[in-house]
Amino acid sequence: MDHFELRYSDFSLDDEQTVMRDAFRDFFTRECPATAVLATEPVGHDGQLWARLMGLGVTSMGVPAASGGDGASLVDLVVLAEEYGAVLAPVPLISQVVVGRLLAAVEGVGGIGEVLTGVIAGDRPVVVAPQPTLGRRQLVPDASLARDVVVLDGTSLVLVSLPTAAPHVPNQGSTPLAWFDPATGSRRVLAEGSVAAGLHARAMREWKLLTAAALVAMTESALRIAVEFAKTRQTMGVPIGSLQGVAFPLADVAINVGATRNLVRKAAWMAEHEPASRPDLIPKAFATAARIATHGTTTAAHMQGGLGYTTEADASLYFLRAKGWSVLAGDPNDDYRAVGDLLAAGAV
Amino acid sequence: MDFGIIELDTDQQRFQEYACEVLDGIVTDQVRDKLRRSGELFDEGMIAALGAKGLAQPGWPVEDGGAGLDPVRLRIFDTELLRRGIASIGGDMIWKAVARYGVPDLVAELKPQFAAGTVHFCAGFTEPDGGSDIAAAKVRAVRDGDEWVINGSKIFTTSAHQCQYVFLITRTDPEQPKHRGLTMFLVPLSTPGIEIRAVHTFGGERTNIVYYGDVRVPDRYRLGRVNDGWTVLRGPLDAEHDFAQQHDGLRETFARQMMRRSPIYRSFDAALDWARTARRPDGTHPIDDPAVRTRLGRVAADLEMAECAEGPLGRVASADAMMRCSAELVDLVGTEALLPYGADGAVGDGAVDDAHRFAQGAATYGGTVEVFREMIAQHVLGLPRAERPGSRAFISSGREAAGAARALGDRPGATPGTAVVQLAGTT
Repeated sequence: MDHFELRYSDFSLDDEQTVMRDAFRDFFTRECPATAVLATEPVGHDGQLWARLMGLGVTSMGVPAASGGDGASLVDLVVLAEEYGAVLAPVPLISQVVVGRLLAAVEGVGGIGEVLTGVIAGDRPVVVAPQPTLGRRQLVPDASLARDVVVLDGTSLVLVSLPTAAPHVPNQGSTPLAWFDPATGSRRVLAEGSVAAGLHARAMREWKLLTAAALVAMTESALRIAVEFAKTRQTMGVPIGSLQGVAFPLADVAINVGATRNLVRKAAWMAEHEPASRPDLIPKAFATAARIATHGTTTAAHMQGGLGYTTEADASLYFLRAKGWSVLAGDPNDDYRAVGDLLAAGAV
Repeated sequence: MDFGIIELDTDQQRFQEYACEVLDGIVTDQVRDKLRRSGELFDEGMIAALGAKGLAQPGWPVEDGGAGLDPVRLRIFDTELLRRGIASIGGDMIWKAVARYGVPDLVAELKPQFAAGTVHFCAGFTEPDGGSDIAAAKVRAVRDGDEWVINGSKIFTTSAHQCQYVFLITRTDPEQPKHRGLTMFLVPLSTPGIEIRAVHTFGGERTNIVYYGDVRVPDRYRLGRVNDGWTVLRGPLDAEHDFAQQHDGLRETFARQMMRRSPIYRSFDAALDWARTARRPDGTHPIDDPAVRTRLGRVAADLEMAECAEGPLGRVASADAMMRCSAELVDLVGTEALLPYGADGAVGDGAVDDAHRFAQGAATYGGTVEVFREMIAQHVLGLPRAERPGSRAFISSGREAAGAARALGDRPGATPGTAVVQLAGTT
């Protein structure tokens, strides 16, 4: 890599993005308090919240204008995902944004427009299986909400339609996880060969990018809870937050959050504007976000001592979802290897 | 948001070519080798040669002896310096204090010399028993008619043996709270009574301990008012320091600047090259091993994340990442990573060894990372500040400190930590 390339280094949101962020922040703060998140456990889906979100156009945002969407950039979608993650919104936001973009990119297959319409309307979700089928069942994010699953089966990208959505399986993150069995349902081939693999890979890259944004925001919210606690809880006559043994771990979480948020935004910008020049950034951002979310939510829960370990504490919601969201596509450390693969190939 | 290439127009391209041509003539292999072996921050001949072309202070107007470079050209110039392994030219932060607080004839005398690259300044802040707490300075300056008599010692006065003046913080009134009894001087290092002794770091740098024994300095070298040294130290920095600035997008993050001035990227590139080319006993290259690729990927991700940290977050993130990553790269490469610059078989000509040593200093110079964690806790997170007797103490013993200090009030931001943050941008 050329360390001396002359590039801008501007992480700031522009005015439009700031307005959009504020609008989403207002919505999510108002509509999705921690009590609402807790109330949806164990399934992790709030149908009413999802319906209200349709009013904000979140599912059409990322779809290109030519396919009936609003053509938002990946940077815009990252801003959306940050606000979604900050409140742990129990809605299939990321999976539906990603699949909408995937379906819009499918060419020459009849009836796909209707499937996409259902995704944009929010009333017929479609999910993407993270792993190729390999002939056995796999856990698919948000699959307990969806009858339609996009899966890479050999060299084909297939839309499998089931008679009913698969039953929810309880899981650490209280997300709508379900087993998907490739042997069931009717099949429609969306793409073949390198096109199929490319579409699936792009969808997973975008899922990781947006999940990374959500994980960073989630970590910041957990940090905020811990900081408020540390300001008020007293020990030996002083607030515990004035002690370096308490303050320094929280400062480290703040450093991780600030740095990783910028890394995610940079990855989004490069993926949008120069997708070929920095393919290492999304795997770097995702693996780092997964790592700092585990570290940050662990620190935040522990900051409240025994209280933080109880289900009464909001910090516990964040702790459980740090893993509950970040391993949905497998081991996040695989993305470190993906970076290493790119380095080995001289691609970055 | 913008991470695009900075497109250069024809004039800017021409400047880039000019900068390369000039620097290739001045920053020779000989100069680089000398700097590596001596551990010095700069070479006097190199700075004077740059100064002759207005490039010792490239951002200054041409009529002041600079090159009048705009921000894009400054970025180009800085990048070309870095490409040739030169971290920075330095001294600018001290000059701002001199220009603002020095007596006019002193400023008039030094300005052309500084622009010409024939006069250099170093910072006399840290004391052997004071560490990062600059405001706790104990070096005494006592008035004697038109002169001041200075006694004490300072450590980490890097480049003192190459400089003509030291920007010195002294204690002039030990009866006042610690931030209030300080006075700044620009002391000529040729003054009798000054003794400079080399101190070497295991990062390869040469710094100094400077002893001041009955050093008599005319009052004209005082900067700012008596007992107002803290203002002099902070004033010019408030106007232009890395952490107060919103990024204009043209400057790289503070963290990335810090990291680029270290050998960490050279170490990474050397380790990657080693992984591609070395042979294991079974004939494979290390990089054929997925575990090696995962570790390299993790290091690359950690560095990238730290680079993206802004402001004081970047100060800690970059130091932590450099320490963690440089150590990991040593492990990855193994025994050959221990060989230094010039040794037979040294990986990356010693870069892996060098980066690991150098990184440890990054956690301390310009103030320890703990000082910055404290700042982040208080100023970013809003956590309460601990009441510690020393933070508002009087220097003299036997006086009731806390009450009077509280009555005077602690100016917001006037903590040692804040000053250190500002200084870190320039060291």
